[in-house]
Amino acid sequence: MDRETVERVARTAHIKLTEDELERYSRDLSEILNYFELLDEAPGSEERGINPVEVADVLRDDEPSMEIDPDLLLRDMDTYERYVRGPRLS
Amino acid sequence: MSMKSTLETLESVNSKYGMFHAKTSDTDPGDAKFLFSAKDNLTSKDMETCAGSRILEGYFPAFDATAIARMREAGGKLIGKTNMDEFGFGTFSTNSGFEIPRNPYDLERACGGSSGGSACAAAVFEDHVSLGVSTGGSICCPASFCGVYGIAPTYGRVSRYGLIDYGNSLDKIGVLSTKAGDLRKYINVIAGRDERDPTSCVQPELRNEGRKMRSVAVPKEGVEGLSKDVEAAFNSALDELRRMGIDVEMVDMPSLKYAMPAYYVLATSEASTNLARYVGMRYGRQDGDYTQKFDEFFSGVRSRYFGDEAKRRILLGTFTRMAGYSDRYYSKAREIRQVVIQDYKGVLKDHDAVLAPTMPFTAPRFDDISKMSALDNYKADYLTVPANIAGTPHMSVPCGYGSDGMPIGMQFVADHWDEDVLFTMAEDWEKEFDMKKPEVGA
Repeated sequence: MDRETVERVARTAHIKLTEDELERYSRDLSEILNYFELLDEAPGSEERGINPVEVADVLRDDEPSMEIDPDLLLRDMDTYERYVRGPRLS
Repeated sequence: MSMKSTLETLESVNSKYGMFHAKTSDTDPGDAKFLFSAKDNLTSKDMETCAGSRILEGYFPAFDATAIARMREAGGKLIGKTNMDEFGFGTFSTNSGFEIPRNPYDLERACGGSSGGSACAAAVFEDHVSLGVSTGGSICCPASFCGVYGIAPTYGRVSRYGLIDYGNSLDKIGVLSTKAGDLRKYINVIAGRDERDPTSCVQPELRNEGRKMRSVAVPKEGVEGLSKDVEAAFNSALDELRRMGIDVEMVDMPSLKYAMPAYYVLATSEASTNLARYVGMRYGRQDGDYTQKFDEFFSGVRSRYFGDEAKRRILLGTFTRMAGYSDRYYSKAREIRQVVIQDYKGVLKDHDAVLAPTMPFTAPRFDDISKMSALDNYKADYLTVPANIAGTPHMSVPCGYGSDGMPIGMQFVADHWDEDVLFTMAEDWEKEFDMKKPEVGA
């Protein structure tokens, strides 16, 4: 994978890379993707399930509930007047 | 060793082996019926939970994972959270943001990964059971390297509620112990439906009929690339199985060679989406610079606290899902998963299990691991990933020792939901196999 592609992927993934990291990941990922070319010769299947076993939807009654005390959830969070703090959007 | 003396020596034993990220300071077991430890990607109310990642430092969950809650309800006392590769990303537990567990048979060698701390605890403490998690082999690999029994049940057998996700379609919670009987005993404790994890709600009842293993299939693809020690121990184990009246047949399973790349595509694709939630808000490290815009803020925290392998897997998984590449990688990997499942189903029509060595070599030295490339690391998993992408239950049992004195394991893979035949095999094998325990001292 060339450096430009690694930079583009890293931006998408919200990862900032140093020059050393760019160099190293470019080399590593190229080696890995070359090995993954094995996938091209592998047989395909009509099936493309997400899970290895069949999974059914589980529905429950639409009743509001509060299993965990909100104060407990807020205990270790950085908050302002019980709102979770986050960075500015603009 | 009594539970009390285990608790009293916990600190000194941990300083020698480094199996725990967090541990209890209690020295009195109270009315506990047994002691257990759990991999640090299972949430626990009373101990910090970091999943081996510095980005989660300071995270004290408000709830127990279902598996931990069920162990406590059965009378278990949680004594520690075990060290692991960051989010499960590794084969040797060396990709940890914290301490790296050391092999009880040789402190210069790895425990395997990613449930390395769990295997170490199971090997070191007497009468101890540890909960591990497998995504691509993270229970069987360390079980093999540390000479203990380890089982990853069928995908969906144990609720994943409270498990910090690596790959949602792959993660399975299981058990490690030096006692074969503990596999049945404790999988029975933690298994069962849980409406908080819909994937656990399709399971049939866990059988405990003691069904005997009558025949095993050994894939030719599973005995290639082995070290001499592993090959010799495995061949002796096959002789022993024959002596026990079990048929051993060599078979072809051509799909197995595609499982490794397919696994790494699926696992990193899922991991890269799961790890998007770690942005320096709500839990773990929350020391980002609020003067920055959100893009800079998120990137800053993630770049500072994710480790080298986590970044590599995020990049790989983001790439394989990108427009223009996802058909070639992610979609194809999903198809290969189905091909591998069909390959197993075909062989398991005529056999009770598929059998191969668990790992191609014994636990490597730390200095040798540091010379391995990322791809070398991934390739080391070629024997454990097929059962993991298939979601089939699999179990490593100790089957010998190398010329270096290190343990060697073999891995049985059974059909979906057929844990019973694995439990029984482990119980029968334990009667025949002479386990050499490591010399343990604090």
